[in-house]
Amino acid sequence: MAGSYTVYFGPQHPGAPGNIGFKLELEGERVVKAELIPGFLHRGFEKMIENRKWENSYVLSYRFCVEDPDSLEVAYAEALDKVFRVEPPEKARYFRMIQAEFSRIASHMFWVHFMAGSTGLRTPAYWASAAREEILKWFAWVTGHRVYHNFSVPGGIRGEVPEGFGERTTQLTYLVEDIVKDVEKALLGNRVFKRRTRGVGVIKGDVALKLGATGPVVRGGGLKYDTRKIAPYERYDKVSFEIPVGEVGDSYDRALVRFREVYESLKIIRQAVLEVRRGEPYRVKVPLTAPPGRGYARVEAARGEYTVHVVSTGGRSPYRVRFKSPSLPLLTTVLNYILENEEVTIADLPVIFASLDPCAPDIDR
Amino acid sequence: MVLSTIVKSIEYMLKRPYTRLVPAKSRPFKTERLRGAHLLDMSKCTGCSMCQLVCPANAIDMVEVEGNYPQNPRRRFPRIDLHKCTYCGLCVEYCPFNALYMTSITGFELYTRDKKTTLKTPLELSKVDPSLITVRREMLAVKEVKPGG
Ligand code: SF4
Ligand code: SF4
Repeated sequence: MAGSYTVYFGPQHPGAPGNIGFKLELEGERVVKAELIPGFLHRGFEKMIENRKWENSYVLSYRFCVEDPDSLEVAYAEALDKVFRVEPPEKARYFRMIQAEFSRIASHMFWVHFMAGSTGLRTPAYWASAAREEILKWFAWVTGHRVYHNFSVPGGIRGEVPEGFGERTTQLTYLVEDIVKDVEKALLGNRVFKRRTRGVGVIKGDVALKLGATGPVVRGGGLKYDTRKIAPYERYDKVSFEIPVGEVGDSYDRALVRFREVYESLKIIRQAVLEVRRGEPYRVKVPLTAPPGRGYARVEAARGEYTVHVVSTGGRSPYRVRFKSPSLPLLTTVLNYILENEEVTIADLPVIFASLDPCAPDIDR
Repeated sequence: MVLSTIVKSIEYMLKRPYTRLVPAKSRPFKTERLRGAHLLDMSKCTGCSMCQLVCPANAIDMVEVEGNYPQNPRRRFPRIDLHKCTYCGLCVEYCPFNALYMTSITGFELYTRDKKTTLKTPLELSKVDPSLITVRREMLAVKEVKPGG
């Protein structure tokens, strides 16, 4: 029976993308409008960072995205490099790339759980966990922690890489590649998956970009937009890699782009590893007080573009820190564009959420 | 497609499991440079409070301890709340006298149900087994690099 309803969805719902809620307007089973209800995870990270000193503020900078912390870590470290006007050693630059790329893979492997869960294919998700586990073990071996690594700091990286770094890292890339291939085949090749995702949540790349989205959502819609190419940071201009793009811009294309991205990331890691040699300098000293000025960094994270803007007035702490995260437009403008232009039923909503892959904590911060 | 997935599933089932049964079957996951609970060398600490100043989580406060410590006339040592600690290692990195270390004690080994036990007094911190040390200051502190390499 058609009729208009207003339904609250989340924050505690298995189909909701994290701890955020929605007010859904329904007509029968069709969702016509979704209003985001954020704020459940708000901790005031920017202010907390501003209340800390330069040397310990970076401990907080990456803590609002559990799945992909290293892109944030690299972004903040790079912004502070510019504030302090230091040039980190080459080795640190390359190591940061490896760190960010492994983080992207780990994040995409985590995303497989949401995507597979919302389409009812649980099996490949557990294999993806194996790939993620291998990467987290590598992180624990190199940095000392599994999830929050705290390794990219202003002026370089925090310590020397362990013995046998090159071989183990290269080996890991091949191990991960094998698992990812299995996951891709089992997930994207599945008929049920194709039926659930093809033509669902269509958005073209240029439209998505205009609505504020970045990352795989834009690339899935066929637009070659990647910060690593258009504004290279660290040493992304020195390695060769492709930007995978989709055609239609539906949920299937976004999933495909994420898998293709993983292979490109592995390629980048294999090239960068050759430049990280033991015994070379890895960090330059930064002073305790920053000169007045500002630092700005853009990085391509797993979900899109993060920008960090740090302003210094010459004190012991940052005067202002501002993060722009890629997730907010996904659940506001992009989601409502999809709902306006397509008949989305309640059953399709989790699929669309999962394929957009927002990160709830970085909306709230 | 479904058939090949089933074949792959069986292959994965025959592999070594990734799940670790902590604490029933195995210890927490550890590596050589794991950043775990602290060790304090009370014969080196001068009570300079640098570790307290640099801690981002406010996990450290300075307390007075009975005893005779010639290098530390005010007998003030750091007390660390392991429940607040983020294990960032900044206190180890910034200690000017190399008095703090990190060990491989992690996971459930850190806590008990009695909340008081997470607040480690200096004496407790100094009694940790030194063979467990994983992170020392020289691993984290900045090596001076002269301009031009
Ligand atoms: S542990 Fe180190 S930094 Fe902390 S008070 Fe003692 S000497 Fe100072
Ligand atoms: S490891 Fe970090 S959070 Fe823990 S006591 Fe030391 S400085 Fe504080």
